[in-house]
Amino acid sequence: MKVLIIEDEIELLIVISNYLTKEKYVCVLAENFAKAREKLSIYEYDIILLDIGLPDGNGLKLIDTIKKYNHYAGLIIISAKNSLDDKISGLDKGADDYMTKPFQLSELNSRIRALLRRRQLDSSNTLTFNELTIDALAKTLIINGQEIKLTKKEYDMILYFVINKNRVLTKEAIAEHLWDDNIDLADSYDFIYTHLNNIRRKIKNAGGTDYITTIYGMGYKFTDQ
Amino acid sequence: MKFLTKINRRYLISLTSILIIISIAGYFILNIVLENELQEDISEQEYAIIQEIKSSGNLPNIFPNIETRRIAKKELNGKTVTKIWLMDKSEGETEPFMEYSNSLEINHEYYLIIIRHSMVDRQDLILAIALPLIALLIIAFIISYFTSRKLNKSVWKDFERNLNEIESFRLSNNMPLELKSSNIEEFERLNSVINKMGEKLNKEYSSLKEFTENASHEIQTPISIALLNLEELLQSGLNEQSMKQIVSAINSLKRLSSLNQSLILLTKIENKQFGQESEIDIGEIINSKKAELLPMLESKKIKVKLMVINSFKANIDPRLADILIGNLMLNAIKHNVSNGTIDIEIRANEFKICNSGNDNPFSNKDIFNRFTKNKADSFGLGLAIAKKICETNKLEIGYSKNHLHCFVIKHTL
Repeated sequence: MKVLIIEDEIELLIVISNYLTKEKYVCVLAENFAKAREKLSIYEYDIILLDIGLPDGNGLKLIDTIKKYNHYAGLIIISAKNSLDDKISGLDKGADDYMTKPFQLSELNSRIRALLRRRQLDSSNTLTFNELTIDALAKTLIINGQEIKLTKKEYDMILYFVINKNRVLTKEAIAEHLWDDNIDLADSYDFIYTHLNNIRRKIKNAGGTDYITTIYGMGYKFTDQ
Repeated sequence: MKFLTKINRRYLISLTSILIIISIAGYFILNIVLENELQEDISEQEYAIIQEIKSSGNLPNIFPNIETRRIAKKELNGKTVTKIWLMDKSEGETEPFMEYSNSLEINHEYYLIIIRHSMVDRQDLILAIALPLIALLIIAFIISYFTSRKLNKSVWKDFERNLNEIESFRLSNNMPLELKSSNIEEFERLNSVINKMGEKLNKEYSSLKEFTENASHEIQTPISIALLNLEELLQSGLNEQSMKQIVSAINSLKRLSSLNQSLILLTKIENKQFGQESEIDIGEIINSKKAELLPMLESKKIKVKLMVINSFKANIDPRLADILIGNLMLNAIKHNVSNGTIDIEIRANEFKICNSGNDNPFSNKDIFNRFTKNKADSFGLGLAIAKKICETNKLEIGYSKNHLHCFVIKHTL
């Protein structure tokens, strides 16, 4: 998968591209409006990450160029502004998703994967981790050919874990992924624990392995190592 | 004291004193004039009497005005003027008279000539002249008082209007100061000074606003960089101690970022940057929020009782309505106890969100203040934002506690 990252903050550009490269994406970087235009006209990308707060031109204007040269690319807007107007005009112009700074890499990966699935750029609609298979179309979890009934939140959670496998995910990151902005409630992390226990129980009952490891009470890691 | 009142009062006082002075002066002037007139009359009469005596030897006597008689030489006494009281036979009462007597020699004989003038006539005359005069003066003064009052009012009307304009001027309204121009030079000067000042204020305010907003947004980028790096560091297999420190750093940065976002939101509401108002049914928003927050309600085992007696409608930007209800519901969950309740009651003129919970030290006044909190993990901005939304949308929010903590929202009358 080829990703074009348009971001004027070099530090941010490096962290994002390092992470995405580890996740087996091919990253192309552009740190200003002119470079982004140039790279857009030369290559085709599957995913474009666009910071609309570019210093040499409003990133929103780049959307037209993207639509012209990279019609098939999935577009995720990144903005420091939590401004609903930017969000609306960005999505109106054809962006597929909108992320507000600060965001987390695990969240970015989930959004990219979701976008790829929606655009059907993923080679298959299933994600497999050992004996667990997630059917992204039917939104179900299958263990050893047996379908497990999950609530919507439980499904979202297991999908998030599988996409971000082998990564330490803090409780806050999980809560934010599941509940967006509403999660400035410290005492509601309990419900993550509740959901998690439900998933663990359902997987075990179906004869699967519990791959969810607790990390010092701070977070979780989905891993078989 | 109002300027006009003061002017009018001064005007009235000076007019009255001028009137009194003029009256007194007029009285004395009139008196002197009449005195002179009398002197002349007397001289003429005396001259006529002397001529009469010289030519015919007759002694004219008209009581009480003229009396002449022969006298002895030793009675010669010169001129005297006295005031006497005499009985006026025609009116049957004593009246004051001015008596002029002169003894003199005419053709080697001695005569006493007495000429009397009734003072009553003179006083009558003074009154007859003075009264209409004073009446006229008073009328003139009254007319001039009222005309000048009216004139003043019309002159000051523009000033008054501009004063109201300045009084209602709010920087946050983002409206320029529009002063009515005046054809009075001093007012015009004042207007132009104030207009310039208003423009400058508006300009500086909006640049400050812009700066704050930009600065707040720019803060998010370095926070992002720090967060992403910390997140990557978290993956590098550190020991528990290091990981705890990293997670603590991550959470602090997130708090910083969300505090920053809340402040941006507050500023935006204050600056009225949400302007797409439409009629919103609060009941609908509460229902959708309730569904959205269901997992949190379930995890704390909180029961929500929603009672809709009538629908409450408000003219508000839907995004703000969403934030308002969200903040109130989150507040009701956050400060609730396990197995607690949230009672929501919606009527046509108000709606109430009440929750069970522990006691807090806050009153209706300070609970909405920024950074008022009783939990370390909150900023105390949620209710401040809710209040700000109400204030900018003709709503009124109040807090009361008895066995439940209640927030009531009404339309501002």
